[in-house]
Formats: sequence, structure tokens, C-alpha cells
Amino acid sequence: MWTLGPVAFLNPGLLGALVALPILWWLLRAVPPAPARRAFPGVRLLLGLRDPERMPEKTPWWLLLLRMLALGAAIAAFANPVLNPKAEARGDGPLLILMDGSWASAPDWQDRLARVSDLLEGAERAGRPTAVQVMSTPLPPEGLRFRQASAWSQRLSGLRPRAWAADRTGVLDWAEDSDTDGFETVWITDGLSQDGDGPFLDGLAEFGPVSLIRSDRTTLALTPPKFEDGAVRVEVLRAQTDRPAPPVKLAAIGLDPLGIERRLGEAEAIFGPDEKSVEVSFELPLELRNRITRIAIPQERSAGAVTLSDDGLKRRKIGLIAGRASSEEQRLTSSLHFLRKALEPSADLIEASIDDILGAVPDVLIMADVGTVSNAEREKLVEWIEAGGLLIRFAGPRLAQSGEGRLDDDPLLPVRLLAGGRSVGGTMSWGAPKSLRPFPESSPFFGLSVPEEVDVTSQVMAQPDPNLPERVMAALEDGTPLVTGRSQGDGRVVLFHVTSNAEWSSLPLSFLFVQMLERLAVSTRSAAPEATDLEGEIWTAKSILNGFGEIVEPELLPGIDGSRLIEDTPSAEMPPGIYQAGERQFAVNLFRTGDVIFPLGTLPAFVQEETMGVVKERVLKPLLLLLGLGLLAFDVLATLWVAGRLSGPRAAQAAGIALALILLPGQMKAQSEDDLAIYATTETVLAYVRTGDTRVDQISEAGLKGLTLMLNRRTAIEPVDPVAIDLETDELAFFPFIYWPISEAQELPSEIAYAKLNTYVRSGGMILFDTRDANLGQSFGMGTPNGRMLRRLAGRLDIPALEPAPLDHVLTRTFYILQDFPGRYARSEVWVEAAPVIEEVEGMPFRNLNDGVTPVVIGGNDWAAAWAIDENGAPMFPVGRGAGGAQQRELAYRFGINLIMHVMTGNYKSDQVHVPALLERLGQ
Amino acid sequence: MSQTPTDIAHDAIWLRRDAEQISGSLPPLLAEASRLASTVAMGVHGRKRTGPGENFWQYRRAIPGDVLGQVDWRRSSKSDRLYIREMEWEAAQTISIWADDALSMDYKSQKAPRTKAERAKVLALALSVLLMKAGERVALLGTEAAQPRTGETQLRRMAMAMAETREDRPDYGAPPPDRMTRGGRGVFLSDFMGERDAVFDGLARAADNNVSGVFVQIVDETEESFPFDGRTIFESMGREVNFETQRAKALRQAYQDRLQERREALKLTAKRTGWQCLIHRTSDSPRQALLWLYMAIGGQH
Repeated sequence: MWTLGPVAFLNPGLLGALVALPILWWLLRAVPPAPARRAFPGVRLLLGLRDPERMPEKTPWWLLLLRMLALGAAIAAFANPVLNPKAEARGDGPLLILMDGSWASAPDWQDRLARVSDLLEGAERAGRPTAVQVMSTPLPPEGLRFRQASAWSQRLSGLRPRAWAADRTGVLDWAEDSDTDGFETVWITDGLSQDGDGPFLDGLAEFGPVSLIRSDRTTLALTPPKFEDGAVRVEVLRAQTDRPAPPVKLAAIGLDPLGIERRLGEAEAIFGPDEKSVEVSFELPLELRNRITRIAIPQERSAGAVTLSDDGLKRRKIGLIAGRASSEEQRLTSSLHFLRKALEPSADLIEASIDDILGAVPDVLIMADVGTVSNAEREKLVEWIEAGGLLIRFAGPRLAQSGEGRLDDDPLLPVRLLAGGRSVGGTMSWGAPKSLRPFPESSPFFGLSVPEEVDVTSQVMAQPDPNLPERVMAALEDGTPLVTGRSQGDGRVVLFHVTSNAEWSSLPLSFLFVQMLERLAVSTRSAAPEATDLEGEIWTAKSILNGFGEIVEPELLPGIDGSRLIEDTPSAEMPPGIYQAGERQFAVNLFRTGDVIFPLGTLPAFVQEETMGVVKERVLKPLLLLLGLGLLAFDVLATLWVAGRLSGPRAAQAAGIALALILLPGQMKAQSEDDLAIYATTETVLAYVRTGDTRVDQISEAGLKGLTLMLNRRTAIEPVDPVAIDLETDELAFFPFIYWPISEAQELPSEIAYAKLNTYVRSGGMILFDTRDANLGQSFGMGTPNGRMLRRLAGRLDIPALEPAPLDHVLTRTFYILQDFPGRYARSEVWVEAAPVIEEVEGMPFRNLNDGVTPVVIGGNDWAAAWAIDENGAPMFPVGRGAGGAQQRELAYRFGINLIMHVMTGNYKSDQVHVPALLERLGQ
Repeated sequence: MSQTPTDIAHDAIWLRRDAEQISGSLPPLLAEASRLASTVAMGVHGRKRTGPGENFWQYRRAIPGDVLGQVDWRRSSKSDRLYIREMEWEAAQTISIWADDALSMDYKSQKAPRTKAERAKVLALALSVLLMKAGERVALLGTEAAQPRTGETQLRRMAMAMAETREDRPDYGAPPPDRMTRGGRGVFLSDFMGERDAVFDGLARAADNNVSGVFVQIVDETEESFPFDGRTIFESMGREVNFETQRAKALRQAYQDRLQERREALKLTAKRTGWQCLIHRTSDSPRQALLWLYMAIGGQH
């Protein structure tokens, strides 16, 4: 076996025969093509003539080349070339197949498995002990163990990529710890670089040869979504910048109001050359934006191409209601000012009446110093809270005076209040302003540091109550509650016992105020939370991503400390996904804002690199032999051409016919269509239907010629030569009369043709159907094959009711007076459109039938044969015998003339029944 | 040329087709000739010329120079003028026909209906039939029927001579050296493709004998159009002469020029000796040629 690029030759020895080609070239050159020998008496006249053209005495070079190629192809074919030969055994000894198995391997995972399977097959053939290890999965504790390759083949289909990066260093350590002598390594990489790549390869190289297989795909990844400037923004990362990347489509996915997952928005990322990342923004209305659960690159099936959104994306709707009309106030003393400032950056604020705000379904409703609430509003508020709303109230003079919740539990207040309230540290009171106690562990504010400068001068007081302690979320130094809260249905009610402005306390002036609101999930985190924000809480996975970027249920994952969520990179312990702690959700994504991914760097020289594609082996022998044969066939033609034997009369004919077959039909048709139209419209022309039966068509043509001749001789109708029409293609409207001989050879017309025929019949044309069988079946459509054919043909025509032509039909007197309508046969019935029933008037020879030309005349008298004349004008067919026959032929012509007259003049003759009356009137 | 089974079968078909005309031993060639002749003879009455003869032809006004003894007094007495009674020309002539039977006459291109030789023979015989009906004596030069005679026997003898295939025929024919009747007429049917000297010597010799007549050059269509191309070796029918060309197509014009030149020479010779020339293609109908020949021999050209 000898390999040349992607082609290997199984019998390379035969290629040596190619050396003989130049010799052959020389031999062939010397031999001119053999001359033709012709016996030709005129040779004497040729003697002494000199050839003006030197014609190929030697074979022309291109013909030689052709033959060389043919021969070369044959030689190459017999050398048994194979395209993409399967690599033979790489060596012997153990083989370790390492797969990165990271999220970046997921899009072409099947290819990777196919490649591994290929390697395993090879190893099995070579009998090599093999080990397969996916580097993103836990390493077997027993160390590196080589087994039979076939044992691995069965496990192959169970391998899955993981949603995190491969632990290459760990694998190296694991391999080094194992008790192995040396092995060859094949590393199927995901193409992304990691920190320890160099030592990893070096370490593997110490065991034996290392080869690397990588795919030529561009790896794409997404950073977490963030909300900026009114749009959701995501960065698309790519690892490989050395090749142009097609535009990448992104989809924002979320649940619709029915709970069905949908694409809520789409965007496209277009990479500039050498750009490693592109920012993409989704401009979505608030409602849709809040619904986004993840953003993904649909074409890329990997965990890296999916990024999950948590609470960070949701800008909450917060309703603000103040107890006082705010118009006259100073801005800085407005009860809503500090709330606005604290919430605006991270939430959408709604300020309106309670009704309107509830109509907008806010997440949170903040009522600052609202005293009494009307009963209707109260009911709505309670309903809303019980459905999951969060009501936060701030105390103030109004609330203190209103007396709400003093006597019994008010659903809109977490505790019962004491009348009035208290002031401390003021000019009229004892004591100093009170500061805050550290938050208890049960409080949602646990962990927040209490600034010293925050002090409270006035507050409303809660009535002592057995339930009070558990409702206290924050308290002052002396233990009086500052913030109380309680659950109400699915929702919560929280009361700050101070005002939301700086009148009663300095709390709204401190950062603690904002943090407290955050902890209440009033204002969600505007940017990524700090590790400290999450610290101390145990987060559990709610849903996680698998390697392919699909969201799955977590299985037996331990809880994770909040700080690790931010600081650690996702791993087997902490797969990317949504984590939950209490009310709050946090999305762990593979990447963080600002991350970049890099492709695998330059490889050390000892690493043998291969591409990913598994290509089928292909034997080229038949192909080459075919090529050789084709060339030889072409050589025959070329040789004939060189020898001048391709031209000449017969060749020209053949070529002409071939050309005509290829080119002409279309043109001839187009030409004839126009010609036909011009011909048929300049003169009166009779037409017949081309049936496809040559004999019948000839008779039709001759018959109409005969009739045309008679019409020219005897009447003022002077038609020109008849034409044949094709029902499928020709326009019928040009012809007043169409003769349609029924032949079994005819194919049923298409729908289009029937449509045309129906239009023709309705718009005044006439068709003469002729079964040409003397109507032997007695009744139409019975007995004779042509009759049945007529049935089939006319079945879909729009033909009116028919009757045998009555004796007073206008056909009997349009030109000649006739009693019968004979053709080549006589005395068979002729059917025409049935006349309306009209009483016969006594004394009148004809009924008064004035309207309509029959659209069809049906008979079996073979009229065309009776009319037919040959080129010399002599009748083509005998009709009858002797003088009687001549008379019958004459009558046939007369019928024809009457028929055409009927077509042309309609019922004019029928009108003549009025002539006596008209004359009489004129006489007066 | 040996007769292959195909030829025999061909003759047989021919024979059968004409069975009604040939009774008994009449060779097929003769039958076809008779039929051909009959198509021409129908419209021909006598020689249509004044001359020595027995039948009345016409009265004509006497003009100065007429011999007084020729005046028909009976006719003249009916008017004031003198009339001369003329007779129809009936003198029998001797017509010597040479139908070339050289190998070159066997040539037939694929589309042609007959070989040149067949056409020559049919024309010769048909003409003989016509001429014999008119009482002329006919000789077929170069055969047993070279002695000019008339009548059915002579016709049959001619037909037999033509039907049999001579041994060792030459490649190209030349007019046979047979003596031609002085003052008679000659009809030479050949392709005149042979060596120039041989052909023209024969023609000159005929003219020397004070024989006037007709050359009919019978050619195949391909001999005029030369539809060949490519590297070709052209051979004469007997393979005595051959000529190799690298590209036959390029020689077409030169060949046609040569042919034209040969015809011009033929016409020139004819003109000098008082002969006439006809070029007949085997693809054309023989009827036209026969009619023309008959008229030419009859002196109406």
C-alpha cells in the first residue's frame, strides 16, 4: 500500500507501467490513422493533384493525450486505488482514547463517537488493549485500566458530553498515578484551550506517541444576559477567529401566558473578521422581557450556547401610592422621593390610583403613609396579596392618626398598632434617637451590616401580641419593632414603622434602606450580585443544563454555598443551571460577562494532528475503468472526425436529424401556431380534429378538401385548404366548423382541451362527430367500438339534449332540399340538438323554429370518405355502385354544403317561413 | 466480374416483375429496354422529315431552284401555283452503338438506383428498339452484334451480348476499334473517365469514318459531387490505378475542375467532328436521355 494524499494504491507496483506511457506516445505518434480505401472511377482525374492541406499524417497531440489519459486511467485503475483509506493500525501496545466531553464537544458528539468507534475497530483488529476516558466525567478510582476494544464499543453509546469543561490536568494526574507502562494516546479534543494544555500534552507524550483529533467547527458560546439601556444584551463568543463565521441566530426563549415555551424574540450576531465576541441586544417589551428564561443559539446544541436568566433580568413592576397629594410638597420631603431613587434603577415604577395600579398587576405595591383604604379597595388589595402580591407599607402621620388595625387584625397590616406612636430624642421628648439592632438570623435582612448613623426619632408602635416576635424583621436597640411582616395567603404584608422620607428616621438616607428593599425582593439586583450577597445561604439546584444545552432535572446534587455560585466555575458538583434559595433564584452560567474563549494553541511538534471527519473508504477502480472506457469511446469519435469520416452526407443527415429532434419541435410549434392563426383568420377554413390515426387523418383532410372544392364551385362560401387541429394546443375559436372523426386511436383530451371545446361549442362553433361505422350498433354508444369511443369522448362535453334530425330540420333546406344526409353510408340517423317543443301549425310546412344553430351533429355516415378527393380531383373511395353511387356522393356533397351553410347562416332559412307573410305585408 | 448470388437474385426479381412483357427467352435487359422504348415511341410518328421515301409527306410551294420533274402537276392544276410533292424520309441508316462495359462502369454509389453499365445497356437497347422500329440498322460495337442489322434477331443478339459478362474487362473503356459504317451514326455510351489519349483517339477515329453521332457521358452522382473527406486511398475499379490523399475534401474543387475540363474537351471534340454531347446521371430518369438520344439520332437537334 502506497499513499498519495487521500488516495492509497493497493498494487502500487502496477503504477510502474506509467513509465511506458512516453514510449507509447512515441509509438502512437509515428502511426498515422489508417486511410479509407474507396473504389472510385474518377481516380484518374485525381492523379497528379497535390493536397492543399496537410492533414493529420501524424496523430494530433490532443488525440494522443486522450489515448494516454485513457491508458493512464486503466493503469491507475489496476493499481487498485482507494480513496480515504482507513488508517491501518497505528502501532501496537495499549491505546488510550481521551475525549474532552465538554459542552463544546456536544454539537458534533455523534461524529466524535463515530470516530472513536472507528478507532476502536482498528484497535480491535490489531488486538490492542484500549481505554476510553471522557475527561469531563469522574475518573474511575481504580486508575487507568486497558481492556479489549470490543468491550468499549458497547459502552460507547452511553457516553454523553457534560455541560462543563474537561478536567485535563486531573486526567493527567490520574494517568500518572495509574500503574501503566506506556501507551499511545489519541485525544479527541473540543478545540478549546485550557491553562494546563502544554504540560498535559507533555505528560501524555512521556507515555508514548500522542495524536490529536479535532473538529473544524467554530465553537460558539453565550455570556449571561444583562439588562442595559432598555434592552437585554448578550455577548456571543467564538473561539476560532481564523475563519469567516456565518451569521449566528439567537433566540430568547420563555413561557407564554399559557405556560408553553416559545421563542419570545430573535436576533442575529454577525462577526467581523478577527472578532472574538459580538454583543447582541433583544429589544423586547417589559412583559416579554420578564418572561425570558433563557437565551440560546438554536443551531448550536451545546450548554455553552445556552445562557439562563434569573431574577436579574426581571424588572419588577412596583406600584407606589402616597397618602398625600404630592403636588404642593417639596421634592425632598415627598414621601415617595427616596423610594423612587432607590427603586428606579432596577424596577419599573407605577404611580397611580390603587385601582389602576392593581389593574397593571404589580409585583410589589408600596403604600407610603396611607391611612384608610376604602372597603372596595381593601377587598381588591387583599385578593391581590393572597394571590402572591407583596404589600409594603410605610408609616407616617396619616397612618398613625387613622386608627387602622388598632382593634383587630387588619389584613393590610402585619401587626396591630398602638394609637399614636412615639417620638424619641426630639426636642419635646426623653432619650436619644434609637439606632438599630443587628438583624436576627430569622430575618430576611440577616447578614446586612447596620450602619451606625441610622437612627429613628419617631415610629408607630406595634401592640404587644403573642405573634409579634415572629413577625419582627428588624428592631430598634430597645427592642421595639422597626419592620414587621407576615404572610397573607401567597403574599406578604410588610410594614416599616417609619416614614419613607427622612422625617421620622434617617433610614431612607442610608444604603441599608436600598439593601433592605433588595432583600425584600422589592428591587431585584440591578447587576450581578456580589459573592457576599449570596454568602451564607445554601443554594440548591432547581434545574440544570446537560451538555447539549437541554434543561433537565437535577439529580442528587448537594446544596452549594452562595459564594461558590459566583466564584467557582461550573463543574460536576455545580453544573450550570438555576439555583434557588428561598424566594431568590440565581442562574449559574458557563460564562460570565466579559469572558472569552480561546482555541487550542499551537501544538508541540510531537503531536500528530488529524481532522475529525470520518470518511468512507472508496474503491476507485470501477470509476477509473469507466473513465478509461469513456475516453476510448470519445477517442473513436475523435478518430473518425480526424479521418474526416464524421462529416459526409450520412453523418450530416444523422447530425441534422439529431439536431432537429433536439431543437426543432419547440420552434416549429411556435412558428406554426402563429401561422395557423393568421391562416385561419384571413380566410374561411374548415378544420378537422387530428385523431392520431394517420389513415383517418388523411381521409379527413381529403374529405374536407373535396367539400371545400364543392363549396367554392357552387356557393358563395369560399373556404381555403382545410387544416388539422390539435385539441390540446391549437386555438379552436378561428374555425366555424370542426369535423371530428371518431377513432379508437385517439387519446382522451385533457381537461384544458375539454374546457376549450366547451367554450367553442357554447360560443357558436359546430362539431360534426362521425363514427364512420354506419351506426351499425343502431343506437349511439352501443355496439360499435367507435360508438363507445364517441361516448367516452363526448361524455364530458357540454352538449345539449339531442334528437334524431327531424324531417323539417333546417339542415334539410339551408341550400339544397334534402331528405337524408348520406355519406359513404346512407340511411343512418343523424342526431342534432333537440328542438324546443313547438306545436305544428296547420298549413305550415315547417315548425316555427327560429333560434339556434345546433352545436353538434352526430352521425356515422363517414362523410369525409364520400367527400374525399385525391390530388387529381378524383374521388378517393367508391360510394355505392354505378349511377346510384354517384347520386349518393352528390347527396353527400349536398349535405356537406347544407351543413356549412347552416354553420354560416344559422337559421336564416328557417326564418323564411315568414316570407309569405312579409311579402303580403309589403304588398299592402 | 463474377456474379454473386445477390446479383442473381436481383436479376430474378427484375425478371419476375417484367414477366408480362418478356415472353420466354427474352433477356430481362431487353424487356426493360422495350418498356422504356415504348414510353418514347408512343409519341413518335415516322421520321417527321422530308427525304427519300415512299410515303407522302407534304406539298410545298415550288421555289426557284426546284427541279421541274418534282412538280406535282395534279396538285398544281388546282391552283395558279406550282407545288412540289415531298415524301417522308425513310432511308434506313446504320447506327453503331458502343456501350462501355469496362469495370469503371460497374460503379454505383449507395444512393444510385443502377450502375452506370446497367444504365448504358438499357439506354443502348431501348434506343435500338426504337431505331429498329423505324427500320434502322443497328450495330453494337465490340460484341458479336457488331455487324449492323435490323430486326428482332439482331435485337435479341444485342441483348444477349450485353447480358453476358465479358472476362478480363479493362479498368477503363475506350471505343472499340471495330470498323464503323461510313456515313452512319454513332452512339457512344461511356463515362469517358479513362486515359485521355485512349478515349479521344477512339473518338477521332470514329469521326474519321465520317460517322457523326452522340457521346453520352454516364456518370454517377458522386462522381460529380465528390462527397468524400478524410485520408483516403482512391482506387480504380480494377485497382490498377490508385491515389492517396490526406484530405479528400480539400481536393473537391480541383477534381470538379478536372471533370469540367474533361467534359469541355469532350464537347470540343464533338463540336469539331459534328457530334453531340449528353451528360446523363444515373440518378436521373433514363426516359429523358432516351428521348433526347432518339431525337438526336433522328436529326432533330
